[in-house]
Amino acid sequence: MFKKNNNIVARIFERQIKTPPPSTSVNCVRRFYENLVPDCTINDIECPDHSFRKFTDDGHYLISFSRNHQDLIVYRPTWPSFSCNADNCDSLYLPQKAKRFESFFTQIYSVALASNNEFICKDFFLYIKTNQFGLFATQTAPVPDAPAVDGAIQGIPLIEKITFHLVRLEDGVTLDEKVFNNDFVNLAYSMGVFLYDDLMAIMSLRYQTIHILQIRDSGNLVDVQAIGAFCREDDALFLSSHAQYMIHLDKHKQPELPLDQGGNEIQRQQQSTEAQSSFLSGIKQRLLSFMFRGIWDGERDHSLQRVQSLKKKFYIHFQDYVDLIMWKVQFLDRHHLLIKFGSVDGGVSRNADQQPSFFAVYSMESTEIIAFYQNSADELYRLFEEFCDHFHPTSRDALYMNFISSHSNNIHALEQLRCIKNKASSFAQFVKKMLASLPFSCQSQSPSPYFDQSLFRFDEKLISATDRHRQSAEHPIKFTSRRNPNIFKFKIKPGPEGGGADGQAKKISSFLFHPVLPLALSIQHTLRQPSVVNIHFRS
Amino acid sequence: MTEFNEEPPTDCSAGPKGDNLYNWISIIMGPSGSPYEGGVFFLDITFPSDYPFKPPKVVFKTRIYHCNVDLNGNISLDILKDSWSPALTISKVLLAIRSIFTNPDPYNPLTPGVAHLYVENRAKHDEIAAEWTRRFASSLSLANFREREGWRPT
Repeated sequence: MFKKNNNIVARIFERQIKTPPPSTSVNCVRRFYENLVPDCTINDIECPDHSFRKFTDDGHYLISFSRNHQDLIVYRPTWPSFSCNADNCDSLYLPQKAKRFESFFTQIYSVALASNNEFICKDFFLYIKTNQFGLFATQTAPVPDAPAVDGAIQGIPLIEKITFHLVRLEDGVTLDEKVFNNDFVNLAYSMGVFLYDDLMAIMSLRYQTIHILQIRDSGNLVDVQAIGAFCREDDALFLSSHAQYMIHLDKHKQPELPLDQGGNEIQRQQQSTEAQSSFLSGIKQRLLSFMFRGIWDGERDHSLQRVQSLKKKFYIHFQDYVDLIMWKVQFLDRHHLLIKFGSVDGGVSRNADQQPSFFAVYSMESTEIIAFYQNSADELYRLFEEFCDHFHPTSRDALYMNFISSHSNNIHALEQLRCIKNKASSFAQFVKKMLASLPFSCQSQSPSPYFDQSLFRFDEKLISATDRHRQSAEHPIKFTSRRNPNIFKFKIKPGPEGGGADGQAKKISSFLFHPVLPLALSIQHTLRQPSVVNIHFRS
Repeated sequence: MTEFNEEPPTDCSAGPKGDNLYNWISIIMGPSGSPYEGGVFFLDITFPSDYPFKPPKVVFKTRIYHCNVDLNGNISLDILKDSWSPALTISKVLLAIRSIFTNPDPYNPLTPGVAHLYVENRAKHDEIAAEWTRRFASSLSLANFREREGWRPT
């Protein structure tokens, strides 16, 4: 293999005279990022005291919230331009005057989203790229030990009011709102909400319902269907019209019918539509009958064997299956959902990796469960390892999302996964740990090229494309060239220059990378101290 | 119990829920040829403490459009009431329930509207019952699903 020249001038020249191999032009262009890295840092920049959430995936906006969690403040990232009349104008360094937050970001607007006793969930933000809409959530304080009333699940906290705001990011106008009362949706890192194209799935944990909404181009949130108690959008209507019809029929035909309790019928019908029914919910009926059919059909000709395996695999756990609740949901495509089921305790707790849980693929068209796995299933893990990208459904127009590294599209990430797999003491534990990341959270990964593992190498424990707060390391995080590990490219160091005054305090940092520009923010939080924001850019 | 294990009635299955012998779950698959075909119906069977001298209580956990089942899933079946005999086994009970799938008794109805329709307009009744089965009780195993996709694309 001949040696590629890493010099940018040589590369530009090469680009001019050589045609890249078929369908690799984007990959070739992306290699220029090796030469354009955010290697310059402005430490502890003077900036407004907001909590910075994220760059939108197209890089047009920087989303932030006010400290009191009431206002949404949106910035437009701008590349600093400055003029200088000093002698050393060719100097690589930014003049002191330009080292300001305002040189990089222009505030577009600040609007109040929360009202009364609501506050903005600072970990929640989803971006609808086609329309440049933002989805935000405000909520009241959760009540941990709320009584389960009106069909709610015992043990799930209650939030009096959750409001989803659809905001046009261009000017900050709220286009539509969707309110959930006395419900619970897991809003941390957008876990309870999944966006796919114009469809949105909201997982109501308390009422065990998946609300499917459509975001119209006009900026309206339209209810499409609710999956839970019923599976088809008109099931409830079907039942109530049936009840109406029965009442109607009874009124007219009663005398002719040989019945003893006809008079009570009307009353009973009315009561039963309102009363809490003892029927299995639609989704449970589907799930249980799918499991049953699997065992029944698996032992076709051996009735005794069939009885035994039904007893061992099904009836003994029947109540546990009935008690399962839906934890999380994601779209696999426009018609299929991946739903995770588990016990009530696991739905809200953090470390539920090793608890038994189940994954079901549900078809919204046929309203059937079409696949079901336990979280220890080797088969599901194999699918996860080989076809990870299928669990990250990308919208039609988001090509850049194809470059987010995963172990299914990147040999280096796969090697890393294999390495962890070989090191794991127990394969079963490893499978559970890996499958705990399913269903994936929506828009949780940064499309920044600096996280492209075919270009750069970095310590995934310290930094990764996944949107998470991490414990700060004392040392800078180094990014080296993937193709030549000895070539150091740039480093990211959160916190003030030369380290903090207090070495003991626990520091948490988060990183916001611009999706296209060599620009990143690192934010370090220390308990009871203002956070320190660094800007990393290419000078 | 042993008797049940050896020779379960067609399309029926039952077993104790967990380790509780007084609480069983039964599954009846809609008999083919009936409007309930393709449905999987779950039933809760609770045995009273003085079983077999008192009949077990059987309740549908799956919605069904049937004149002998009320809107809360309770069944009217004479052998579960006055005609109960300690000699009756669970198999016999399930057989009896299965038989009302194919032969409802519209003259002792719990839902008179359904019974009326059954007598007056059987075709309409069957159509509605099939629609209920499709909506609330249908279960396609993967094999069925593939078969349907391949054979009868709708």
